Amino acid sequence: MMRLIHGLSYVFYIGWAIVTGSLTIVVRQFLPGRSYAHPMIVEVPLRCVTDLEVTLFASSITITPGTLVTAIAAGTSTQPPVLFVHALFEDSEESALEGLYDMESRLLAMTRGRAPTTAASTVTEVEQEEGRP
Amino acid sequence: MNDAVATALVGVFGISGSLLMLFSALAMFRVRDALSRINVFSPATGLGMPLIVAAVYVYDIHTEGFSWGSLLMAVAAVLCLIIVSSVASNTLSRASVLSGQPVYRKTAPNRLARPPAGVVDEDPDSPDQPRAGA
Repeated sequence: MMRLIHGLSYVFYIGWAIVTGSLTIVVRQFLPGRSYAHPMIVEVPLRCVTDLEVTLFASSITITPGTLVTAIAAGTSTQPPVLFVHALFEDSEESALEGLYDMESRLLAMTRGRAPTTAASTVTEVEQEEGRP
Repeated sequence: MNDAVATALVGVFGISGSLLMLFSALAMFRVRDALSRINVFSPATGLGMPLIVAAVYVYDIHTEGFSWGSLLMAVAAVLCLIIVSSVASNTLSRASVLSGQPVYRKTAPNRLARPPAGVVDEDPDSPDQPRAGA
């Protein structure tokens, strides 16, 4: 029952995100004096585990205007799966990640019946586990 | 439904859907690389085409009356447009990245552009060593 309510609210959330994102893309063309877009590719370590969750999340990101999934790295036993997301209209990497994690929490509330309580591991933690600089 | 309401709804949905297609196409000229162009075209497929479907559905109700068949067709068309558009954008962006399309140089941060280990020639004598892949 809770999953149904979360699922309905997620559908409305995605619909609202599509509308506002489309308006952003259209309206920003007519705002003079500022550059149109700030493209960035951010790295998003996921809390999604199953294939269904990862697929739904990647599709939700892509259907939202202004964000686009460019690559998906499969998770291993020690690392979460990672999405690389191309974002156009975000001010900074932090605000982009914040919006994406908000969407992910709503999606996991739909598939699991409750929102996850743990925060996602940050990019630096993932890099340290891999031993990258 | 009377004539005026139906005509107004068809006009609002149809024209706003068409304008979204037009402005998405214009937005493609404002960005510089393939990934951004795939990105800014999603209003057309995610919102513009469903709005045109809605216009057709209102027109259908007005001329032929309500029927469950046409409602089912309209809902299925909108859902399929959104799902197909999402999967197609994913496929396009994967194809564009894997085929080595250049990414706009002002894309910052670009987390995808981390060179493989051993590729970057690190000079230990250099005073300001740039971070690899930054």
